[in-house]
Amino acid sequence: MNEEKKKGTEAKKAVKELVYGMAMHDMVRYSLKTRMYLEHLFMLITLGDMLGIPLLPPYYSLKMLPYAVPNIKSWQRRLFRERDFTDSLY
Amino acid sequence: MEGIEMTETMKEFFERRPELNCIIFAGKGGLGKTTFSAATSHWLAEQGKRTLCFSTDPQASLSDIFERDIYGKGIQSFAPNLHVLEIDSDRRVNEYQEGIRKKILDMYNLKELPKEIDEYIKAAASEPAMDESATYDAMAELMEKRDYSYYVFDMPPFGHGIRMVSMALILDTWIDKITEVRMKAREYDEAMATLRGKTEAEKEDVILKELTEIREKLDFFSGVLTDSKRTAFFMVLIPEKMAILDTERALKMFDSMKLNLSGIIVNQVYPPELLKRKDLGDFLKHRIEMQQRYMKVIWEKFEPHIRAVVPMYDREPKGLKMIAKVAGDLFGWKLER
Repeated sequence: MNEEKKKGTEAKKAVKELVYGMAMHDMVRYSLKTRMYLEHLFMLITLGDMLGIPLLPPYYSLKMLPYAVPNIKSWQRRLFRERDFTDSLY
Repeated sequence: MEGIEMTETMKEFFERRPELNCIIFAGKGGLGKTTFSAATSHWLAEQGKRTLCFSTDPQASLSDIFERDIYGKGIQSFAPNLHVLEIDSDRRVNEYQEGIRKKILDMYNLKELPKEIDEYIKAAASEPAMDESATYDAMAELMEKRDYSYYVFDMPPFGHGIRMVSMALILDTWIDKITEVRMKAREYDEAMATLRGKTEAEKEDVILKELTEIREKLDFFSGVLTDSKRTAFFMVLIPEKMAILDTERALKMFDSMKLNLSGIIVNQVYPPELLKRKDLGDFLKHRIEMQQRYMKVIWEKFEPHIRAVVPMYDREPKGLKMIAKVAGDLFGWKLER
């Protein structure tokens, strides 16, 4: 009995994941990417002077800095990375 | 409107505007802004109004004028109702910096800051705009508490003083933009959470909260500064060509920022009666004649704005006694025609 129930839930889960993969995954991926762009745009405005682009007065930049700490590395990497045409494919 | 009105004296100006509570003196350096800030505070305090005189000038001189060492010592009082504050902006910036460092260490449980972040904080803190913002922040903080009936701000020499006001307007636009980006990001967070069937996005966006706080502060302050019922901007002028040109420029700047200039005070005028004295030397005679020529120009150009003409004193206006004298001249002045 227990075995059967387990099988049932597993099947259910598999169907759910299949549907998610077919319908939602791309949307989520796209959303995550847009979300990242927004985060990076935000960081550019607030911490732009880190890269030599002063936009916000530093007093307020510093106020925002603590929240941006975990993202700084990836943000800088993305902005400083060399780009080529394959970028537009992904 | 103001152009048609008769010249209002300083006293009339204050008496007719009971809602007034923020007074700012602007103008070139060395013309007497600090003296008039102190004198105005002194006069208001004498009228029984709780007054705070606040120097925002890094080369602060309230200490000199009151002949007490008040620099960086918090709010001091040495006459009934008269309170004086001269902030040490360097120290404020340092404390602010330390606060940010500590916040990062606490937030992420770090022992020491990552090198690039530490360097960034150091670089940001040494920028000149940092002082300005810190002072500005201090001003807003003080006014928000509403502990005093009048706030008299002694601003740093021109340009900079007005910049503080325009900065509020510019910053406001920036904060608007940033908030917009944050809101969008939040929308995405929420959408994703629904797509994945989770409810994690309910967590409050702390950044958005922080931004709203900065915004509210700025809005409050720029609201006060642009409200001509509550805030008065005075310019100090001396009868010399450079000062006149500067004032003309300032008038244009005020216009472009939609601020009202509340009045102009002409300072350091040699008493023209001296010209009648027979023993007057050539040196003084020429100076007085030159000043009188420029006084004519000043009346032609700025008549509706002039609130007082204050004489040149035979000694530096320092100490409470001299400040009281200046206050008497500033608020006792009447148009003689």
